[in-house]
Amino acid sequence: MDYSAIYPELILALFAIAVPAVNILVKDSRFLAGFSLAGVGLSMLAVVMHFVEGTGRVVFDTGLLVLDDFSGLFMLVFLTVAFLVILASIRYIEDERHKAEYYSLILLATVGMMLVAASTDLFVLYIGIEITSLSSYALVAFRKKDIKGAEAATKYFIFGGISSAFTLFGISLVYGLTGTTSFQEVGVLVGTLDGYREMLWLALVMVMVGFGFKVAMVPFHSWAPDVYEGAPTTITAMLAAGSKKMGFVAMFKFFLIGMLAIKADWDVVVAILSIVTMTLGNLAALNQTSIKRMLAYSSIAQAGYILMALPVGTEYAVTGGIFHILTHAFMKGGAFIAVATLATVAIGDRISDYKGLAKRSNFMAFSITILLFSLAGIPPLAGFASKVVLFSSPIMGTVAGSEWMVWLAVAGIINSAISLYYYARVVKYMYVDELDEGAPSERLKLPKGMAAAVAICVLAVIGIGVFPEYFIQLCQNAAQALFA
Amino acid sequence: MDILEYAWLIPVLPLLAFVIVGFLGSKMKDKGGIVSILGVGAGMVIALWSAYELLTTGRIYRDSFEWVILSSDYSLEMGIFLDSVAAMMLIVVSFISFLVVIYSTAYMHDEGPRRHRYFTEICLFVGVMLGLVLANNFFQMFVFWELVGLCSYLLIGFWFERPSAARAAKKAFLVTRVGDVMFMIGLFILFTELHTLNYESVWAALDTADPAMMAFAAFFLFGGAIGKSAQFPLHDWLPDAMEGPTTVSALIHAATMVNAGVYLVARAFPIIATSAEVSLFVGAIGGITAFLAATMALCAPKIKGVLAYSTVSQLGYMILGLGAGAFLWNKGYHVEASIAFGAGLFHLMNHAFFKGQLFLGAGSVIHYVDTEELSRMGGLGKYMKVTSITMLISCLSIAGIPPLSGFWSKDEVLSVTFDAGDAGLTFMVLWVLGVLTAFMTAFYMFRMWFMVFKGQPREGSKQAIEHGHHHEAPIAMLAPLVILAALAFGSGFSLFIGDGFFGAIYYEHAHVLSIGERLEEVFTSPLTYVSIVAAVGGIMLAYYSFYKPKISAEKVVAKGFPKAMHQLLLDRYKFPVAYDKIGYAGLYGFSLLLDKFDRYIIDGIVNGISAFLIRAGGTVRKLQNGFVQSYATLLLFGVSVVLILLYVVGALR
Repeated sequence: MDYSAIYPELILALFAIAVPAVNILVKDSRFLAGFSLAGVGLSMLAVVMHFVEGTGRVVFDTGLLVLDDFSGLFMLVFLTVAFLVILASIRYIEDERHKAEYYSLILLATVGMMLVAASTDLFVLYIGIEITSLSSYALVAFRKKDIKGAEAATKYFIFGGISSAFTLFGISLVYGLTGTTSFQEVGVLVGTLDGYREMLWLALVMVMVGFGFKVAMVPFHSWAPDVYEGAPTTITAMLAAGSKKMGFVAMFKFFLIGMLAIKADWDVVVAILSIVTMTLGNLAALNQTSIKRMLAYSSIAQAGYILMALPVGTEYAVTGGIFHILTHAFMKGGAFIAVATLATVAIGDRISDYKGLAKRSNFMAFSITILLFSLAGIPPLAGFASKVVLFSSPIMGTVAGSEWMVWLAVAGIINSAISLYYYARVVKYMYVDELDEGAPSERLKLPKGMAAAVAICVLAVIGIGVFPEYFIQLCQNAAQALFA
Repeated sequence: MDILEYAWLIPVLPLLAFVIVGFLGSKMKDKGGIVSILGVGAGMVIALWSAYELLTTGRIYRDSFEWVILSSDYSLEMGIFLDSVAAMMLIVVSFISFLVVIYSTAYMHDEGPRRHRYFTEICLFVGVMLGLVLANNFFQMFVFWELVGLCSYLLIGFWFERPSAARAAKKAFLVTRVGDVMFMIGLFILFTELHTLNYESVWAALDTADPAMMAFAAFFLFGGAIGKSAQFPLHDWLPDAMEGPTTVSALIHAATMVNAGVYLVARAFPIIATSAEVSLFVGAIGGITAFLAATMALCAPKIKGVLAYSTVSQLGYMILGLGAGAFLWNKGYHVEASIAFGAGLFHLMNHAFFKGQLFLGAGSVIHYVDTEELSRMGGLGKYMKVTSITMLISCLSIAGIPPLSGFWSKDEVLSVTFDAGDAGLTFMVLWVLGVLTAFMTAFYMFRMWFMVFKGQPREGSKQAIEHGHHHEAPIAMLAPLVILAALAFGSGFSLFIGDGFFGAIYYEHAHVLSIGERLEEVFTSPLTYVSIVAAVGGIMLAYYSFYKPKISAEKVVAKGFPKAMHQLLLDRYKFPVAYDKIGYAGLYGFSLLLDKFDRYIIDGIVNGISAFLIRAGGTVRKLQNGFVQSYATLLLFGVSVVLILLYVVGALR
């Protein structure tokens, strides 16, 4: 048995178990975080080794888990998010109890995401999603005395529980129809199931519910603003930058491997959902007064953009989707961590609380500006580069009979234009508006770990934006691996 | 040393000043004024030198690298493309920017620490505007295009504590954005059709491209110009933009940024010329804009308002010239077309000088009397000799009195429009509009000049004079006024230097004439006298209305149709209202509606169903159970919607 395919997951799982044990000896938040970071780092190293050695596709056991360019890239994304979230959490949860459980759950959630990325089978994928979900329910509820947090956790749990029931039902239908749960084999068999088309559609929609819930696709989005607002902000960053991306990985695998043969049946519907999702997200974001809710709706909108890759379905489109997932992890993760950072120095999460921020911390105001402008897709930042690839894909991917796809690009561009308004508004508050009378005006002392996490995101956003080629290449390799 | 090798420094030096002023300006005593002058000035030196090199040798300089490679077929470049058109833009932009920055050090003196923000933003603007000129492809142009828009937004809202300024900034941003989206769509069409956005590659590929798609591309690109150059029907942001400092109006909203749209049309000229319909559309938009804006300038109550409408109107002239050129080219009149192309750009250059001068002069007046209302000024000529004389020169120039610069270019634009009238009758109508505009231009400019400098001092002037402001503006403000006035007088003589303006700036066919031939061509044409008569007539009318009042303007507009018309003009043809209706009621209303829809209808259905379930089940603990059930219902609702969609689409296919 070739265990090297699952080294990254194994290492991280071992560390997840070890954190509570270490906690018996040392109680210091910084030590626990350092220990968890070491685990994340080692796991990353295992993935990077795979890339460096260029071993290509490594299969574990009977082929339920693989490590290839696709899963490897996503593992790196998830691990990076975990790294940033832990780094930002050191100060953020300093005064809480159960710190060890907190770190342990973050690591476990990440293991779940990595399993999803590595899976080749619907059941393994489902187990991965469940590991992540259960860990994140607990994390959202971490501040159990906080009424908002508790309410958010309950909503998240109930909505999540029901949707995973739907998913499981859908998987059982797929299994009933094809007699297999392997994506590859399902993909071969669905094309031959002409008599059971309608039943297949039912299965498809059922499975879609669970994934759509994770990525906050309309109409399964309504939990997202409440949960993003109520959860500890570092955990919100993880949900938006990590667990959401896991949903996309699952969708890529299910739709583009499993259901590719009947793409003509679902592509228009997914395209409509994509446009509705981006439009509703952006328009709802216009009216928000809480920055966390605004970012939540913006997250929904970004999900709409990424969804575009499914109906187009070409290798180039998937490259764009993966690339946008990658850049979005930095932009949105960074933005939420920035909000969390400011919360530790008593700046609230209403947008108006950001008035005159530039006068109190140039670094934070600049970072948030870069991250938001990147989300809006302003060149030469990362969000712009990935949007170019993503939005050009429906145009280049059109073949006879699918000219309607161009509308996806049009909708994406118009939506980006709308979105600039609410991003620019925050920037205006920070730079143009003066501080309120009597409001504290001394310069902010930021926690170092959190500032570092924000800085990493900003550098990544600028770096990817200026030198996008290397990253496009990575994403392209991943897309090739997915279709291989 | 080949100066063009260093052309990349042209935008970089002002941007360097931007960075230095941005980070260190607040600690400097003059808040970054000197650094801005140095940065913009150094950029100007290289720009002028490069322009000299380009114009005297007639060479074209290219430099580029691949920026983003999307696939083997598609890639985007960053690069520099410098030809004579870019050289002319470099001269205009860098020189006026430099003068405005000098002027600003005095004009903004009272702003105290806020000058820091001002100089930072101005340096950024100059840098990105020069970057726009240097671009070698439409995409790079678009990137800088957006950045100048951002600077414009920031600077219009410089006095953001005034609600009107904040509103104007927002309006400028949103209205030009409509054009920007069209520009972007145009780019997409070009990119998919031609696989490149480089100017030269695009021009070369036009012969083999699908004409219908090129017409669409031209139409949408021109949409971008409509927004940026404030053409009808997206013109209304520019008058509001006067809420910014006057120096900003002079630099951005008269002499540089608004010309970006005209520059875009010049760069897209070959694409536009592939379609007679789009060419006609371009010309018509230009002519209509020129005319409508001139009518609105007739009774504008504020000094900057007159100049703003005048700017819109003159931009319309430039677009009209280029549109006529594209139309002529499309119909096969290649020599006339290349003159028309040059005429539009000639007017761009002259206009930048005299309008920049007029704005800076207006700034000097406002500085002195502390009001913008024309009705509170008067009699200032005695106290502001330099300002009044330099502005008089510019007024004569814009009115089109020979031999001042405005005469040469306006005459040329009108004559090419007349030529285009041979090929398409619509241009005949546009020519008539153009002549009427010339008449109105002369009238409103002199209305302004007489109301400010002649007659009895009215209350604003009186106060200023009594307060003992018996001095003109400082030298840092007067010097730019004088220099620009000299150019407003003489920039038209570039027709006679070397091969002449049309020998250097043209499309495909150079039009070289000796001085004698040029003069003969101009002054033997009856059209020239039509435009001179229009100009003199306008000035005379203004003279008898506002200087030696034989005609009472008040009485004319006291009742009946003239009164209604006057009100309509003051209401700017109701455009602001229409914008609000469409923009606010439309888009914002739609978003509110969706919000309501999400909150009441969707949640209502969900709550309704769950309420029904709860009642049916006779459950008492409503909250808890309703909670769970409403989520379950929401999911069921979603699943049903998606499933129904799948079936509907499946059935339709």
